[in-house]
Amino acid sequence: MIDERLRGILRRVRNEAETRGITASFGLHHEISHLMRIGNNSVSLNTSEQLTRLDIEVTNGRRKGSHTHLGSIEDDNIVLDALDIAVNKAKVSKPLNYDPIPGLVEETVEESDQYDTALAELDPAFKAGAYGRIFEEVGPDYNYSGSWSSGVMEKFTITTGTNNEFYHKSTDQQFTIVLKDSVNKWELSDVQTGWKLNQFSADVTIDKFRKLLPVYTENEGFKVESGDYTVIFGAEAVADIVRMALWTGFSGRGWEEKRAWTAGAVIGDKILGENITILDDPENPLTFMFGADAAGVRRREFIVVEDGVFRNLMYDASTAGKYGKRPTGHDIGSPGVCMKCGNGAENPLEAVDGKGRVLFIPALHYVNIPSMTKGIFTGSSRFNALLIEDGKIVSPIFSSRVTDSFENVLGNISVISGVPESVNGSNTYGRRSPRASAVPSYIVVEKVKITDSADSF
Amino acid sequence: MEFSDDLRKILSGNIDRLVRAGAEYVDARYFADDSSEYLVLYDGDLEANDTGFQSGLGVRVLFGGAWGFAASSDMSNAVECFDMALQNARTAAKLVKVPLSMGRIDRIVGKYSSPVEVDPFEMPLEDKLDFLIGIDKTLAEDWILRRMVFANLQRKRILFMNSDGSDIEKEFLNVFGSMAVMAMDSDGEMQRRSMSLFSTGDGTRGWEMILQPELYSGHSDRIKSELSGLLSADTLEYGKRSVILLPGQGHLQVHETIGHPLELDRILGYELSYAGGSFVGLDDFGKLQYGTDKLNVSAYGEIANSPGTFGYDDDGMPERDYMLIENGILVDAITSRAMIKEANEKAGRSVFAESGGSARATAFYRSPIDRMTNVNILPGDDGNLDDIIATTEDGIIVDNPVSWSIGSNREHFHFGCEIAWEIRKGKKTRILRNPTYQGHTLEFYNSLSAVGNRSTWRVEQVANCGKGEPNQIMQIGHGVPIIRFDSVISGERS
Repeated sequence: MIDERLRGILRRVRNEAETRGITASFGLHHEISHLMRIGNNSVSLNTSEQLTRLDIEVTNGRRKGSHTHLGSIEDDNIVLDALDIAVNKAKVSKPLNYDPIPGLVEETVEESDQYDTALAELDPAFKAGAYGRIFEEVGPDYNYSGSWSSGVMEKFTITTGTNNEFYHKSTDQQFTIVLKDSVNKWELSDVQTGWKLNQFSADVTIDKFRKLLPVYTENEGFKVESGDYTVIFGAEAVADIVRMALWTGFSGRGWEEKRAWTAGAVIGDKILGENITILDDPENPLTFMFGADAAGVRRREFIVVEDGVFRNLMYDASTAGKYGKRPTGHDIGSPGVCMKCGNGAENPLEAVDGKGRVLFIPALHYVNIPSMTKGIFTGSSRFNALLIEDGKIVSPIFSSRVTDSFENVLGNISVISGVPESVNGSNTYGRRSPRASAVPSYIVVEKVKITDSADSF
Repeated sequence: MEFSDDLRKILSGNIDRLVRAGAEYVDARYFADDSSEYLVLYDGDLEANDTGFQSGLGVRVLFGGAWGFAASSDMSNAVECFDMALQNARTAAKLVKVPLSMGRIDRIVGKYSSPVEVDPFEMPLEDKLDFLIGIDKTLAEDWILRRMVFANLQRKRILFMNSDGSDIEKEFLNVFGSMAVMAMDSDGEMQRRSMSLFSTGDGTRGWEMILQPELYSGHSDRIKSELSGLLSADTLEYGKRSVILLPGQGHLQVHETIGHPLELDRILGYELSYAGGSFVGLDDFGKLQYGTDKLNVSAYGEIANSPGTFGYDDDGMPERDYMLIENGILVDAITSRAMIKEANEKAGRSVFAESGGSARATAFYRSPIDRMTNVNILPGDDGNLDDIIATTEDGIIVDNPVSWSIGSNREHFHFGCEIAWEIRKGKKTRILRNPTYQGHTLEFYNSLSAVGNRSTWRVEQVANCGKGEPNQIMQIGHGVPIIRFDSVISGERS
């Protein structure tokens, strides 16, 4: 853990840097992570890690250098050595053509509101037990796989130029399970997330699978022909689309450099449907809440699109420096992306009653961007995807590809659920860095382009 | 590269201790040095000037047919790390329907070092920057709105020991480089041309590789010229036509639709909850017509100079050269020790004779999973690009990915590319922009109609293949020639 000993080391080195006239930021990242993987109805991996990373960035006029050290930090010398590496890198660096904005912790923040001791100290046997119970109660003859990641993440950031300190401590988890029929190859899934252990319930998964199973066992898969369809996107798909739309359309860098699909618009233009409000909300408890970004900028509610109107762009410190703007607290992307709910019925089937043929795509697999400037995205349906006729479930659908634009999808929403849902967007590529979106549990979109489909699930 | 006797005693002593405690298999990987360096020039600004260093121990234990893994960046916690891995395995063993086994192999003692003349981590930063700045200057033009030059350097020094008694020292060095230029086309859409450092498969892979103009810097004028052509080009119209993939695109096609679906852990269902499964089943080996008889695909391929060449895998097995697809028939998969045992038992026959040596972990704090090594399409006898163009009635040539999206079982795909050249009646006619193509994997490879000769073959480096949970980024190589497919849906419906 990042205790007073480690904080003291960082403070002393920060003070030493100030004495030497060095402009630097110091970050400690500590994680205790656990992940249980399930494959073929067994625990295929049970892994735990305890890692401490030190990040140092030095700004020397228009020159910058940074160094990351992953290893034990026994004393000041480890941090001093890392500082010297960054200092020397900055010294010989090529000067930038603009004045960079060094990291600066704007306010002292000490936050641990989303820390749950029960989750932090969870015995991995609990996870194995929960999976085992689901297998038994849903049906042991199916093939189950999944993963359950949980852990504690601490972050401590200080910078020269201020005595402010940012400290964050939280827990997070993401539970996934996939049920596969080995003969017919269809797959069902369930995902649960949150920062407290009691936000997980095996009963929720069991109930969901029990409701979906008859649809799959009693009906053949439906091959969707290419064309325009009314589509219900579930919360996972909504979160994917909104995050991608923000990344490709509302990052300051993309817009300034005319690569964003919003490049032809200016603040104040109406660019999406008037029922669309998208914001970065670090105080939404359905997200993982961070009070400051990686550069120390205080994060507050930040509206990007309001009632379809373009309100703000997100600037990281580097882009802000280059284009003469203020950093907006987005040096680690947008961890708290939220879309405001509407007034749609809780049950999405009610929302499409009378709409004829509708596709229900709860999540999109492997979304990518064929054209950033045009805001075109593509991805395919996978788990739990259904054909609906007049509000009634008819059958599961085969893997079908959506290739459409953000403007079309976020401009033709006829119904927005009134129920918010948390969707975990963390990746486990490197350090533990939880992020989640709060989005409507579904949206109904007209004229969505289905461009291909497989003959199988 | 020297590892101390004391370190060996710590690792072997703890391995023996866990075996005595009932572990069926134990391995330990100590990363003495896992260094990285990122240098990014963006519009001439050095926006990334980053180095990283990590060191630590990863321990994997098989107990009761289940894996436990633990890692620590603090070697003073080595004993606790071994204990935690065993404890994790014991917990995992409480829920085991399909017990895993590593089998028994003889002790292997070996060393592997990437062939290197100049270690970039021993070079002054100024020299590396001077080289990249020099390339950046050649890219700068008034009409070019954005330019990027990038180098990513990696060095890993690893001691591997396991309960077979194996003792393997490995030292990898990777040098990745890329460059890109961007400009606005006549419709106000940003177009891009890029290229990445590739290799011929031979030679060394230190900093000297990036200095070879034919592999990297000598392509700056070409990508500028091609970008210029894109700015006033028409958009590719929707239709069915032949599609010729240059290696800059072909390697990703192979990666996504041959490499990933042939990873045995995917086939067995161990990746379902994240990356997905595979349309390939155990019954398909030896039978499935994956492509036309022009399709021959190897694993490893004895390529000396590639990020997918590593000597010994993280099961302690030597990397193996073998065929995955022969004359279009699927014959083998990307495999590791535990996976082949499970697959053979499940199939009720010996589908896989031996491990492909493909278990790899990206860092000390990650557990090994099945990974591509070098997955290569072997050169064919359809000549060079001009020869393939001459026999193409209606088609396009495409290069370099912009986007890729693949179905969960790798059964279908959609790719966007940077550039296309139209071919009509055996002649290259004009540049087309915003090319995309899509298809169904088996149908696509069964339309393979031309495979270029050795002169068209090159090894493309993949720096960032993501897979597994917790997720791992791995470095891979793909040797690919120029390849042509017929009747491919390309372009988007208006």
